[in-house]
Amino acid sequence: MKTTEITGEERTKAFKSLRKPDVVEKQKLNVRYHIEDFDVNDRPRRFLEAFAAILKHSNYKMALDHFIRMSAKCSRCATTCQVFQATGDLKDIPCYRSELLLSVYRRHFTVGGLLKGRLLGSGYLTDEKLQEMADSFWNCTACRRCSLECPSGIDHGLITHLGRYILSEIGIAPRALVVSTREQLEGATKNTSAIPVPALKDTLEFLEDDMFEEKSVHIKFPLDVENTDYVFFPAVSDFLMEAESLMGIAAVFTATGDSWTTGTGYFDGINYGLFYSDRMLERVVKEVDKEARRLKGKNILIGECGHASRSAKYFIPTYCGGSSALPVLNIMEYTYKIWKEGRLRLNPDVVTEKVAYHDPCNIARQRWIIDQPRELLKAFCKNYVEMTPSGDLNICCGGGGGTVSIDEIRPYRTTVGGKLKADQIRNSGCEILVAPCANCKKQLRELVEDQGIDCQVVGLHDLIYKAIIFDDSQMVKKESEPETQKKEN
Amino acid sequence: MEALLEFSNGPLFRLCFAIMILGLIRIFLLEIWAIYKAYRKAGDKNMPWKLILSRGLEWFFPVRRIGKNRPFYSIFSFLFHIGLIIVPIFLFAHVQLWKESVGISWITLPYDWAYWLTISTIVFAIALVIARMFSKSSSFLSRKQDYLWPILLLIPFISGFVCAHLNVSPTNYQFFMLMHILSGNLILVLIPFTKIAHCVLMPLSQMVCTIAWKFPPETDEAVCITLNKKGAKV
Repeated sequence: MKTTEITGEERTKAFKSLRKPDVVEKQKLNVRYHIEDFDVNDRPRRFLEAFAAILKHSNYKMALDHFIRMSAKCSRCATTCQVFQATGDLKDIPCYRSELLLSVYRRHFTVGGLLKGRLLGSGYLTDEKLQEMADSFWNCTACRRCSLECPSGIDHGLITHLGRYILSEIGIAPRALVVSTREQLEGATKNTSAIPVPALKDTLEFLEDDMFEEKSVHIKFPLDVENTDYVFFPAVSDFLMEAESLMGIAAVFTATGDSWTTGTGYFDGINYGLFYSDRMLERVVKEVDKEARRLKGKNILIGECGHASRSAKYFIPTYCGGSSALPVLNIMEYTYKIWKEGRLRLNPDVVTEKVAYHDPCNIARQRWIIDQPRELLKAFCKNYVEMTPSGDLNICCGGGGGTVSIDEIRPYRTTVGGKLKADQIRNSGCEILVAPCANCKKQLRELVEDQGIDCQVVGLHDLIYKAIIFDDSQMVKKESEPETQKKEN
Repeated sequence: MEALLEFSNGPLFRLCFAIMILGLIRIFLLEIWAIYKAYRKAGDKNMPWKLILSRGLEWFFPVRRIGKNRPFYSIFSFLFHIGLIIVPIFLFAHVQLWKESVGISWITLPYDWAYWLTISTIVFAIALVIARMFSKSSSFLSRKQDYLWPILLLIPFISGFVCAHLNVSPTNYQFFMLMHILSGNLILVLIPFTKIAHCVLMPLSQMVCTIAWKFPPETDEAVCITLNKKGAKV
């Protein structure tokens, strides 16, 4: 799919920094995202120290050695990078971005590079290069589409991931992500949206009342129940912004009668560590695992969220016991399974609009969840349309890699990052876009608003909530409502 | 001249060939060892073998790939690789040399095939250089070696073609043959130390990328200790 480059005016707006000149001067770093103050002295040396420490305790060295031997600079990756396609700036080619870090690795961590550097006296990491990396690594949406297009098999997403991790160790990371993670790991509320438990309970009770009004069925959000089949961790922002998705999930569990719960000790699936720091990634998944074990749950169930699902699915086994770790499922896998078993009935006459499905990169790129939601949607949406490319080759919403949480770069996300996606949505002509990911939903809503596209962005379970059919035995006659509620309470 | 030819074709070739083979074995084993170590360290040892295999094979037989993005560059590259691999290995004259020196032989290319494959390799090598020069993105990324490699690879193909298919005087024949052998030897020596090492490393790519995402457990604390950040706030 071809797209036009952004205009000069859009470009200026997209790359404009909202930071005050005195802050830029103080931090000696002219980037678009807000950073907490950090030690500006001797940055290259500290960057190299952090790089060395990370290499020592990780598997990145193996990959970097392979990449510097393989890279053929063919620029095929440029043809799939949505950021480069939008800006046309050669410095946005994934291979160029990767080379920023690979050249540092080659110069400072390989024998050939060290010898060459000593002999020619050049190539030492400079502050200017750090500036370029701090800019470039956060221009990328970490969708990893380019990694599928590299004939040499170089995973540029992995290099960006590592680059951000090293930068964060010397204090260069978007404030939005750091502050949220701090609240999640060290704050009183233990979640990124800072929702206190009483407020959570109030919200859920309110939603339960709402659902009873609408469906005449007692749909519950069980809290702190032990020994359930599934311990549920949504992206915590869903409690504030995606109530319908949560209602859909609760309705599905009510229809099937399977046991599930949410823990009040820790209930946030969000893991910004995946975007900026492996150390934070490890700490957050350990919290998820701890809560699931406290509640003696059999499975960890992640809500409609791409990065939360990937963090848990791939990194709970890494950090929490390998093959003995608790199994991780995404909610769509569960819903698909029970629908296949015939335990979920959906009314095919409720959703009549033109519906399209957006694959969140974090669950589709590795071909984890692609067909299940499509089969479900086709089962009850009469007017389903496919966007191409899709599946593991999908186009990112433009807010991937944590950038959606950085509000100050919204103009960048909706003009540069999301340009290709906006074209794709427009071409599909869909009226409802299903995006089962909290980050994608936020980004896509901002994208359709800023790009003037008439399309509603929802989660998969928002539609399931509309179409779900309950057994008559579960339906409660409205007249008996107060009594039934009293009994329940 | 004849002595020089004899030397280049004999001891020098054997040395260069040995450097290439040993160099490639070294680099391959180093990577296998690195992969093994990384796998041992990884907290999650579950490997998606099917995905690794299918994505690897997609690039070995890039039928689905070549027409899509950068079609001309891809087709040039694909056809160039075919000639580059097949001609030196299966050329009748080359196999004959192996037979005479070490007594082993294998299937050889028919004369016409060898003729056209050599021409196509030359044409597509030139096309690749031109495509690289005139593509804004490729020329921006390219290093010196990215231009020098196709040019260097052209030398043995052109000189070999001249010797095999054109009527040249014996002196010129010897000159072209010497160029053919010396450039061939140089290529053999350079293979393990440059990007051409991808000829043995490529099958490992998907595995490397998969294992690289499988982090070792307990790295948070280890990195904190090394960087003297133990107990530091988020």
